[in-house]
Amino acid sequence: MNAFTYLIWTSGRNRVVTALRRVRSPRYAAALIVGGLYIWSFLLRPNNSPASLSSLLGQPTEMIITVLLVLTLMGSWVFGSDTTALAFTQAELSLLFPAPLSRQALIGYKLTRAQIAVIINVLIWVFILRRGGTVLPGPMRALAIWVMFSTLNLHRLGAALVRSAWTEHGTAGSRRNRWSIVIFAAVGLSLVASLIGAHDQLGAVHSTGAFFTVLGRVLSLPPASIGLYPFHLIVAPAFAQSITQWNRAILPAIGMVIVHAWWVFSSDTAFEDAAIEASAERARRLDAIRARRSVGAIAPPRPASSTLRLASVGHPALAIFWKNMLCLRRTAQLRVFVGPVTMAIAIGAATSGAGADLGLVFAVGALVLTGMLLLFGGRLIRNDLRHDMQHLPLIKSLPIPAGEIVLAEVASSALPMALVQMILVDIAYVSTLASRANPLGADLRLAIVIAAPFGILALNAAILTIQNATAVLFPAWVRLGPVVSVGVEALGQNLLATVATIFSLAIGLIVPLIAAWLVVMVVSGSRATQLAVVIITAAVALCIETYGAIRLLGRALSKAEPLQTT
Amino acid sequence: MISVRELTKLYGDFTAVRSISFDVAAGEILGLVGPNGAGKTTTLRCLGGIIQPSAGTIAIAGHDMRTDSIAAKHALAFIPDEPHLFDYLSVEEHLRFIARLYGVVDVETRLPVLLDELELSEKKRALPGELSRGMRQKLAIACGLLHDPSVLILDEPLTGLDPGGIRRMRQTIAGRAANGSAVILSSHLLNLVEELCTKLLVVRQGEHVAYGTIDEIIQAHPHLLGQSLEDVFLALTSETKAAG
Repeated sequence: MNAFTYLIWTSGRNRVVTALRRVRSPRYAAALIVGGLYIWSFLLRPNNSPASLSSLLGQPTEMIITVLLVLTLMGSWVFGSDTTALAFTQAELSLLFPAPLSRQALIGYKLTRAQIAVIINVLIWVFILRRGGTVLPGPMRALAIWVMFSTLNLHRLGAALVRSAWTEHGTAGSRRNRWSIVIFAAVGLSLVASLIGAHDQLGAVHSTGAFFTVLGRVLSLPPASIGLYPFHLIVAPAFAQSITQWNRAILPAIGMVIVHAWWVFSSDTAFEDAAIEASAERARRLDAIRARRSVGAIAPPRPASSTLRLASVGHPALAIFWKNMLCLRRTAQLRVFVGPVTMAIAIGAATSGAGADLGLVFAVGALVLTGMLLLFGGRLIRNDLRHDMQHLPLIKSLPIPAGEIVLAEVASSALPMALVQMILVDIAYVSTLASRANPLGADLRLAIVIAAPFGILALNAAILTIQNATAVLFPAWVRLGPVVSVGVEALGQNLLATVATIFSLAIGLIVPLIAAWLVVMVVSGSRATQLAVVIITAAVALCIETYGAIRLLGRALSKAEPLQTT
Repeated sequence: MISVRELTKLYGDFTAVRSISFDVAAGEILGLVGPNGAGKTTTLRCLGGIIQPSAGTIAIAGHDMRTDSIAAKHALAFIPDEPHLFDYLSVEEHLRFIARLYGVVDVETRLPVLLDELELSEKKRALPGELSRGMRQKLAIACGLLHDPSVLILDEPLTGLDPGGIRRMRQTIAGRAANGSAVILSSHLLNLVEELCTKLLVVRQGEHVAYGTIDEIIQAHPHLLGQSLEDVFLALTSETKAAG
């Protein structure tokens, strides 16, 4: 067994053994059983229902994923955002770099390590797609997804190596970027030309589904299809609708993997300096992340050039909130919101039909974005215990009751997220006033806009309490830190975690909904009044429930211990 | 000021600390010494309220750490060997944060003095990631000293400091004790312990093997008379090992 195989094998084995030892704790054992049942029900349970997910694997999705792939790779080339593609751990840096190893060997090791993450995500996606009863057998689907993820991984590493060589040769930034800019500009132009050409077709559709179908068809025809061709080769097998299609697509895709592997392995770039810089950058912010689950880029920290005022007297828990607001300000990654915003605009535009009713476009877009932020927002900002559990000794030495710490931490992420959603709901309401359609009726809309802040606040508090609870109760299983995983490879894990959160929230909503139903039974009034009463009652009940959970979480935090050190 | 009785900490079947008792009065500096893995950090973390003891009691400035932990934590400062700092707060913001937590009303007066004393003034807008190891240690020390604690718990406080910083830290520890603070100092630097500490607690494998002033310890072990602290330390820890 060579040294790298030994390192990977023993590290993996020890990790599994440590995880199994942890299961001796009743809390982890219970979580494992619940988690196992959840995964079984979500992923493995035989599904005889119609192929619900297979419809998602059609041409529109295929073309949109291709465009996303272009955007991801453009980030690596043009903006150099993938600074950590060359990062090694501090231990690897200390022990492997001075060792008598070739650069190719180090690259090979890095790629092998990355394959573990790739394979885990391939399995997750295969199981998720299996639920849809798609026509492709599991192994074929797995190979197709593996080809896609591996090519992406190789390409990002290759791009990082080339950029490292540019830096090494001291070429001016704009000059060294010119080829990548030209290529991606050409791809961009082909897309724009297609979209302009299809403006009338896109404007004529009247539903979201139809919009994406037309968009997919437009992108699959020249000139967009020409610009997207090399990227489409990588994606095509994963979206094959039949074995014949798969057979046709897989060989070119495997060819792309081979070409990429040859490109990366034949590179003899002196990447050490770039690797050390990237590793230091990563280590500084990710030391406490026990497992690297994303190869997504990490935003550089913003300098502390401006601050927020904090009075030296007042409730001490507010200091935690203040600290976390500074953290949010310095770590917020606006690019993670690009996807939801784009999707919301697209859905808004699709729903408005020919686009004549701008009020409706804004209203639908704002509401779609509100819903998306409600479901996924908690995963986009992490300035709470999911970050501070890294500083447990410091947090626990503070003279504040643990329950108040948890309350301040949850509020740190829940309040900003709720505020954004409330603004969006207000935008939606104001936009409907300018719409000719008068959706839902004026009284219902007014009831919603009045009651929405209660519901939004309660739901965000509940969802973020659930996510903070996982960090406190299962710190060994949760990725800690402020950085958001945005890599394509992390999508599967993020999806699983989001569904688990929604499932927990659904259980939490049982009592509030019963309470709301009981109240509405005794309250008479118009439909609008009843709707407002339902939302507000359920929100209050959920807040009470969440507060109880926060108190319990405080107790758990006071018992939580850093790793044993003597 | 600090009173510890029968402190025990278990991790599953492993006993990290077993029935340790000691007192540190105002103005005293207790040196906590022992080989690696002796249970020093675990003991200090229990004292700092970071981990809960499996058995025994800890009182800080008259407040029981189990039943009145907030008041106990108000009175103490725990400075760990590895500075735990928030990645996204600047030097000055760390101190303002601590000031709010501990209710330091005259922070505007204390802050520049402390920053000057620890040579952090020029770095007050820097984030921890922009600081050297020594600078980060100084910031952790500044956070500990800002609220003028009556109990100081220091775990290898000189790690990463430059010679000037080491000298100033020694003076600070002695000065704090002279002003009435109770100090516990854990360190492998036996010359530092010998210079500063009024009492010693020697631990090994989670148990205390000697406790008292250096004279009292030598009195209990007459064969160590005339030997350096290093020899005394090595003899005590190896005696126990042989006895064990």
